[in-house]
Amino acid sequence: MKIRIFSVLCENVPGVMMRITRGFTRRQINLDSITVGIEPTGLARIILMFKADDHMAELMRRVLSRSEPIVDVEVIEPERSIVREVALLKTRKLDEKQLLEVIQQVERVGGRVLESKGNVVIAELSGEHDEIERAIEALGPKLLKEVARSGQVLMSREVS
Amino acid sequence: MAELTGSKALFEALKAEGVKHIFGIPGGAIIPVYDALYDEHEIRHILTRHEQGAAHAADGYARALGKQGVCMTTSGPGATNLTTGILNAYMDSSPVVAISGQVPTQALGADAFQEADMLSVMLPITKHNFIIHRIEELPSVVRLAFKVAMTGRPGPIHIDLPKNVQAAKADLKIPAQIKYEKPIKFEPDAGQVRKAVDMLTKAEQPVIFSGGGIVWSGASNELIELAELLNAPVTTSLLGKGTIPEDHPLALGMLGMHGRMAANTAVTESDMLLAVGVRFSDRSTGDVHYFAPKAKIIHIDIDPVEIGKNVRVDLPVVGDAKRSLTAIIKELRSRAKRGRASGWLERVKKLRKEFAPRMDYDEVPIKPQRAIKEIQGVLDENAIIVTEVGQCQMWAAHFYVVRKSRHFISSGGLGTMGFGFPASMGVKVARPECDVVNIAGDGSFLMNSQELATVVENEINVVSCIFNNRYLGMVKQWQDMFFEKRRSATSLGKVPDFAKLAEAYGAWGDRAAKPSEVAPKLREALRCGKPAVLDIPIDPDEHVLPMVPAGGRIDQMLT
Repeated sequence: MKIRIFSVLCENVPGVMMRITRGFTRRQINLDSITVGIEPTGLARIILMFKADDHMAELMRRVLSRSEPIVDVEVIEPERSIVREVALLKTRKLDEKQLLEVIQQVERVGGRVLESKGNVVIAELSGEHDEIERAIEALGPKLLKEVARSGQVLMSREVS
Repeated sequence: MAELTGSKALFEALKAEGVKHIFGIPGGAIIPVYDALYDEHEIRHILTRHEQGAAHAADGYARALGKQGVCMTTSGPGATNLTTGILNAYMDSSPVVAISGQVPTQALGADAFQEADMLSVMLPITKHNFIIHRIEELPSVVRLAFKVAMTGRPGPIHIDLPKNVQAAKADLKIPAQIKYEKPIKFEPDAGQVRKAVDMLTKAEQPVIFSGGGIVWSGASNELIELAELLNAPVTTSLLGKGTIPEDHPLALGMLGMHGRMAANTAVTESDMLLAVGVRFSDRSTGDVHYFAPKAKIIHIDIDPVEIGKNVRVDLPVVGDAKRSLTAIIKELRSRAKRGRASGWLERVKKLRKEFAPRMDYDEVPIKPQRAIKEIQGVLDENAIIVTEVGQCQMWAAHFYVVRKSRHFISSGGLGTMGFGFPASMGVKVARPECDVVNIAGDGSFLMNSQELATVVENEINVVSCIFNNRYLGMVKQWQDMFFEKRRSATSLGKVPDFAKLAEAYGAWGDRAAKPSEVAPKLREALRCGKPAVLDIPIDPDEHVLPMVPAGGRIDQMLT
């Protein structure tokens, strides 16, 4: 199934997230990523990523558009937008060899080591979802203790 | 501006909406509102005996009158008791406005006495819902609630009103108008209308499928005009019953699982299906792969979510039913060449004749078909039929000929047993000039029979005809047909005596045991000057037939 991205502009009121997510829950769609930011207008912009076939994606677009606090639902094509994700990684207690491996790996994908003490490294990765996915996979649970991810933030390339 | 309590402001807002009736039950968390009600003389409050009854009554009221019905309860159990009624209204697009008391805002989330998280509970079963945290929001929220309930596709709204907000005082002004910014497409796209007319004029075997959207849009006249222009027969959903008089030469009756065979066959043979204000419920379509297999489908609906949701659609028209049909009629009249499919009409006429339902049974116990025939014989076209759910409902839907929109009121999407009786109470309050008859089953009636107290105390003279087979009949029917007659937990035994039950409440009660007794006793019930219950023992082995098994093809009915 294709990856779908909706950019949902909605009122910034309590419960609005539940109004959005429950429609997905009900149709057994797992949301892969949700990010929220407040626009300068005071409205909230919620970016949703999920997998669905064409029929379900279109149904969800209409279901969301119908919801009262939702102002607009924009369907974003990944290729016409800039998508970024930030991940923070914390390693286990590492030996010297592992330490070097982690630092090299992080630097190879353009990440930064933020802290390194007591043989534990905290690093930051940012980039496209797949890059981060690959880097985390490469390090694996043997080296990594904890991962915190921002979810995918996104901006359409359209200028209007 | 004037200093008002939240409770007083609530009533000012309700009066600004023209509210005349409220169905409800007070309780601890809504006492300040009921205290303000004490001084209100323009609003009649009808004290029901269960909050579910209040919700169904408001729903029946809304459907009969075509405007918002209001119910009111306390917090916690009072509010949760509304939920079945509210979901029922949501599934059938009925504009109920429900108001519940709530614990004071400072107690929210503390598991206070009779606290329920109603914002979360009501969220998936309402068109929209609110909690009013500050008194300043109250007037505009109430007015917005009424607006949202009725604008576009109607639906229920819930307002949660904490007790401290009810009691607070503030300088408040009830807004004369409320801005509602949700874009709703009422006017159909002109290009789509032209395309629709192109398709309709080419059709040789057109059928129109009419639903609740025609009712809410008030588009019956346009529906009939278009059907006559096109010579297209009309079938309806359960909620569309009466949108065309069912004795009209072009009326096919209801479609679907318990629809008329003529309707199911015509839809299956048709080359053009114009569906208006319907949501293609599985009860209407059966197996969607065999639904109208030869037809191009045009779907007109004000709610874009419905388009293409359940069946493939060749041409969507998003818009209000009345405006869309008016535009189609206008475009059609402007065309020189209009096909009038005469061979098709002959075929439809033949189908109607071939599959005309049989109702002239003389047996005792009474056959339900005959009971419907007798009831039909007593009532005029202004009578409003309300139904419970199950066999009684489907017998009424299949056999009772409805001639007017809003004169057949039934729980469609949710199939709520216990809907009919309290709904009939709301219908009678809304339309006191009409005879209101609830066609009930013995199982359904007992689910909200406590409202006998309400109708007696408030002199709401409705008649319930109980099709009494001492079974949860529709489940029993499925057990008989699909579960080797293993009637598990569907027998209801011998009690109660429904006539005596009615009398215990001070209502009129009697039994019609023979076909010839039904009409005279129903006349007596209608004239007795009291709410009435007519117990009609029916053949316990009778099934609702014909029938399409769940998921089956609508042209393959079991008979």
